[in-house]
Amino acid sequence: MSKIEGEKAALTLSNTSQSFSVGDETIDVLKGISFSIKPHTFNIIYGQSGSGKSTLLNILSGLQKPTKGTVHYEGRDIYKLSSNDLAYFRAHRIGIVYQQNYWVKSLNVIENVSMPLYLQGYTKSQAETEGLKALKSINMDSYAKKYPTLLSGGEQQRVAMARAIVNNPSIIIADEPTGNLDSTNGDMIMDLLVRYQTVLNRTVILVTHNMEYLTLADHLLNIKNGVVIDMQGKSITETTEGLIKGIRQRVDHFAINKKRRKHAAKS
Amino acid sequence: MQQNLRPKKGIRASILMHVAWRNLVSKKLRTILTVVGVIIGIGAIYFLLSFGLGLQKLVTDEIIGNKSLKLVEVVSPNSEIITLDQEMVGRVSSLVHVDEVSVEYSYPGLLSLNGGEIDVVTYGVDEAYADFVSLNLINGRLLNESDTQRIIINTSTLESIGIENPREAIGQTVALGVPLKSSDPDQKDISADFQIVGVIDSGAGSEAFIPSGIFSAAGVDSYKTLRILADEPENVATLRQEIESIGLETQSPADTLDQVGQIFDFFNVIMISFGSIGMLVAVIGMFNTITVSLLERTREIGLMVALGARRADMRKLFIIETTMISVIGAAIGILIAMLSGFLLNLLMNQLAGQRGVDSSFSIFINPPWLIGSMMLFMVIIGLLVAALPSRRAEKINPIDALRHE
Repeated sequence: MSKIEGEKAALTLSNTSQSFSVGDETIDVLKGISFSIKPHTFNIIYGQSGSGKSTLLNILSGLQKPTKGTVHYEGRDIYKLSSNDLAYFRAHRIGIVYQQNYWVKSLNVIENVSMPLYLQGYTKSQAETEGLKALKSINMDSYAKKYPTLLSGGEQQRVAMARAIVNNPSIIIADEPTGNLDSTNGDMIMDLLVRYQTVLNRTVILVTHNMEYLTLADHLLNIKNGVVIDMQGKSITETTEGLIKGIRQRVDHFAINKKRRKHAAKS
Repeated sequence: MQQNLRPKKGIRASILMHVAWRNLVSKKLRTILTVVGVIIGIGAIYFLLSFGLGLQKLVTDEIIGNKSLKLVEVVSPNSEIITLDQEMVGRVSSLVHVDEVSVEYSYPGLLSLNGGEIDVVTYGVDEAYADFVSLNLINGRLLNESDTQRIIINTSTLESIGIENPREAIGQTVALGVPLKSSDPDQKDISADFQIVGVIDSGAGSEAFIPSGIFSAAGVDSYKTLRILADEPENVATLRQEIESIGLETQSPADTLDQVGQIFDFFNVIMISFGSIGMLVAVIGMFNTITVSLLERTREIGLMVALGARRADMRKLFIIETTMISVIGAAIGILIAMLSGFLLNLLMNQLAGQRGVDSSFSIFINPPWLIGSMMLFMVIIGLLVAALPSRRAEKINPIDALRHE
């Protein structure tokens, strides 16, 4: 796989807000957030459920136009592009991996992996040649003719990774890709993401709940109640140590609570 | 690889067709049932139309025979006042849309052979006559310019004088008498021997054809009928108007054809109405299949849009899918209808043969325009059926679609 214009990749959000109307009520999911993603970096967005992570990823991937603010890619506001140009941006610049596996069920693995190239206008054989290379790169080429829904969760997620890189995107967006996997398969996916960033020079934007992966980040973004706290200033080690300390405190808290209950039950 | 990319062109039609096909194949039973609906709908309409048109052609051929649609027959409403003479022929020939003119005398005559006598309608015709009226030659030849004492008779005449085999008649000499003096003292009766050069089959009445020159030599200066061939069928109406403005009467096979056409147009509308019931069921089936397919694949559409599909591509996907059902259903439906028509026709011919009908006939016809227009009709129906689901596919929000259960 050849390296393409990954060097140009840079996403910048400026004062971006997103609100949804539910009946008479307006819910502000994102509240005027601003940050920049540097090219070739490994970025992790973390935060609690309902904090607005998925909405943020949808905005970054060109699927959700924000209510306010701008999203710039290579100096252009992507939401000022026409619908077709935005589709072109997604097809050429973005690779997406979801927590849940989505497939065109009537197509086999190689056809699903080749889908981003089909959408770019490649012929079937051209797209599938590239698709097979992507599958080979993750040792999944023997699964090419199988149907994705018949594969295990880990295998499906690896195929999804191949699909995310087949179009040589400058940005790979991964929305909790290890969320449904055991630690072995999860680690395998994370290794692939790290490889894409370090070897292929891609920009990775990862949303995860797994704190153990935070140390992989070059740039951490903590999202809380629709506000992003950019941890750019702090050292990653300092932040992750703080988070791990928090985990230890929770583990201790549960252990102490359990002891107390046992003790109370005996007496 | 990059140079093969078609910037901003989106997915190729061949790949959309592949995806649509794979989806149809993945839901075999549903697809087959929908296609069967289309086969029945379009097959029924085609079968009935093929029958209606076949019947129309059969009737038209029977009435018109081999007369050209360019033919205009001209007679005088009153031969005392307006005479169809050589001057009139010249006048008519000079009209713009006239291609060829043929003259015809017709008088009652008496034909004798081997001691037998028979009344015949005697026609005096020129060589061009054969271009206007189909003379169904059984044996021998038609008259030509150099013929003088030659005659053509029809099979009815032969049978009346006791000759069974038309071949035996060729070369024999008959005596023909046509009394002309009684109607006009300036004319001479025709009474001469003629050699039979041809036998034709022209129906039930006894008829004999001799060169028109015999009549003009006998002093007959007015023709009974002029036959005019227009340059094009569409100019026949104009030509007739011009001729009628002279005071002559005209007739054309197109008159009969129009009347027959009107009856059969009505008949065909009834046929289509019956066939449309099946078509309506097929359309509902198609709409149902495509709508269910859209609901089932909402998430897939969301995924494809998220991966960079243009919304218009998603619309095209459903249009292609519906068109595939339409085209496959229509092709099979028409083929089955053609085959059914062919077999039924075979059976009808066999039954007719058993009842003594020698000539074969077709009550089902398959003109290419009918096949083409039925295919086109089904494609248009498919596009109409796809209109709503494909618009919905185009408007699907990828984020909502990916959350869709």
